[in-house]
Amino acid sequence: MERKKIFLVTQSLLCALVAGLLAGIALYLYFDGAAKQAGRDLFEYIFTREKAGNALLLVLPVFTVSLGLTVAGLVLGIRDENADNPVRDPHLLRDTGSLRNRAVHQKAAPGTVYLRIAVLVLAAALIIAGILNGGLEDVLAKGAAICTECIGLG
Amino acid sequence: MDKKRFRPGTRRLVQLYAALLYNANLKGFIDGHIYTGSLKSVCVPGFNCYSCPGAIASCPLGSLQNALNAAGHTAPWYVLGILALFGVILGRTVCGWLCPLGLIQELLHKIPTPKIRKGRATRILSYLKYVFLAVFVIAIPVWFGLGKDEILPAFCKYVCPAGTLEGAVGYLQHPANSTSFFQLGAVFTNKWVIMCVIGLACVFCYRTFCRFICPLGAIYGLFNRFALTGVKVNPGRCNGCGMCVAKCRMDVRHVGDRECISCGKCIDTCAQGAISLQCGKITLKHPETGKNADPEPVLRKRKQAGRIAWGIAVAVLVFAVAWFNFIEPAVTETQAPEIPAAQETAAPAETSAARTVGSEVGNLLPDFTTDLLSGETFRLSDHRGQVVIINFWGTTCAPCIAEMPYYEQLKVAYPDVEILAIHNRAGARKAKDFLADKGWDHLDFALDSKEKGLLQLLNAADAMPQTIILDKQGVVTYNAQAPLTYEKLETLYKKALAE
Repeated sequence: MERKKIFLVTQSLLCALVAGLLAGIALYLYFDGAAKQAGRDLFEYIFTREKAGNALLLVLPVFTVSLGLTVAGLVLGIRDENADNPVRDPHLLRDTGSLRNRAVHQKAAPGTVYLRIAVLVLAAALIIAGILNGGLEDVLAKGAAICTECIGLG
Repeated sequence: MDKKRFRPGTRRLVQLYAALLYNANLKGFIDGHIYTGSLKSVCVPGFNCYSCPGAIASCPLGSLQNALNAAGHTAPWYVLGILALFGVILGRTVCGWLCPLGLIQELLHKIPTPKIRKGRATRILSYLKYVFLAVFVIAIPVWFGLGKDEILPAFCKYVCPAGTLEGAVGYLQHPANSTSFFQLGAVFTNKWVIMCVIGLACVFCYRTFCRFICPLGAIYGLFNRFALTGVKVNPGRCNGCGMCVAKCRMDVRHVGDRECISCGKCIDTCAQGAISLQCGKITLKHPETGKNADPEPVLRKRKQAGRIAWGIAVAVLVFAVAWFNFIEPAVTETQAPEIPAAQETAAPAETSAARTVGSEVGNLLPDFTTDLLSGETFRLSDHRGQVVIINFWGTTCAPCIAEMPYYEQLKVAYPDVEILAIHNRAGARKAKDFLADKGWDHLDFALDSKEKGLLQLLNAADAMPQTIILDKQGVVTYNAQAPLTYEKLETLYKKALAE
């Protein structure tokens, strides 16, 4: 196997290892903490800053190596050359005319222009209606206090 | 070394610019507080979690779920209007140029590994985002909102990697928010694993989240064919060679279709110079070399306009950073009001030792007075000799609403306890209507306001729910941002009673 390929495969494995460790550690902390919580103390928390910090330290060496390889790869210009090759899809190229005709054209058809104007007017009307019915305040209420559920805390 | 290879292109600079502008509240990362000013009532076009300490505006997808969730009370016109406006003006140009999550995905894809190229399978998978849109963003929030009157932003709660990365990690990294770790459990673990999987997939497969999962991209994709901004083809020049589609890394069938993010790669690819990035009649990008390149004066004029645009953009960014970090009134509002000097080491009559006034465990909570919704007045010092529980909640906070019956139950079981539930300032106007049919009659409810500044006075966090428990002397025995079960609440009450 040529050296470039070995490099790319090694980097893939390291990336997979970093992601796997990050996910695996979270799962371990969760199951371990949940078992302790169920068995012993009501206030035994599944995650704490200390537990998370210690766990992340385990990933740090692998992450550092992977980061180093990434920088080296970028500096040396090592990459999957195949990635930029054109993908010829026979389903698309049966009728080359369709590519030209169905693409979005520079000069918009009158129908498109009317549609744009209609949607713009509708959007403005909806925003005004939303401001009047308190929708704007609802967005503020949600955004100005952290939604613990939304970010996976709750 | 080829230095040109490391020079960021215009699109990368715009992506970085957008990410920085969306998160101009940089001090949020330092003090651990999110921005709570009025600009949060506006949505940014791209995917950017509004719980990120840096965020200055709201996430359109989170707002949409929230609005659909509350559709039974308030029609979601505002968010739909905002999305339609962004959609018709920008389409999926937002994804290619203005989305911080898109930028992160592209940077991950830069990691040198073998890459998975697009094909029939990825094209089929590109329809998956419409399933996410229909199920997680529309069906579940509407079903829970209308059918059960419960808050469930399903995409945010179960999937969104932006929420995990920008929101949870961004918020938890600050030591002041350490007690938020206490509420992490199955939901966080699930979202963390999803984030790791998506992140890994992005290394191998270009914009995995964007192509297969992102409901916001799915919405903007519906506008793409008639959006004002986007890549457009000059049919007079196009020879139908198909190189634009073949070289594109998204699952497009034609230039400018629902999958096109207007990244402009096809503009450089097209040998005919038939493709350009347009905003209405204004050309934003066009081949600068080749047989169909624009004449020199036009190019010069465009470059000059570009420089002016960048100048304005940088000025806006500088102003935004200065405004949100130093000038905006919300900055000064988040500072806790000064505690009177006499109170600094005040000692309650029952305790011999002087205590520091504050909200940490072991501190003496500062005295305050507030009006209750019942019309009475609450003064903390009037409740010395009683265990006092202060709960911070909001009508938009599902865990807050879920735990409220436990407080009611505790008050019924132990009438001696004083329970005060303070509603967050934002959305407080609607809290009274919300409480009307809940039957939590034994609790005292108060609304925070800009003038009262109760949350600042008591040093409450931005995340809800938060509970502070005081013993009979007014000393804090518990203060954490975590939902409580009845069992925990009763244990904490008994502990405070015994102190």
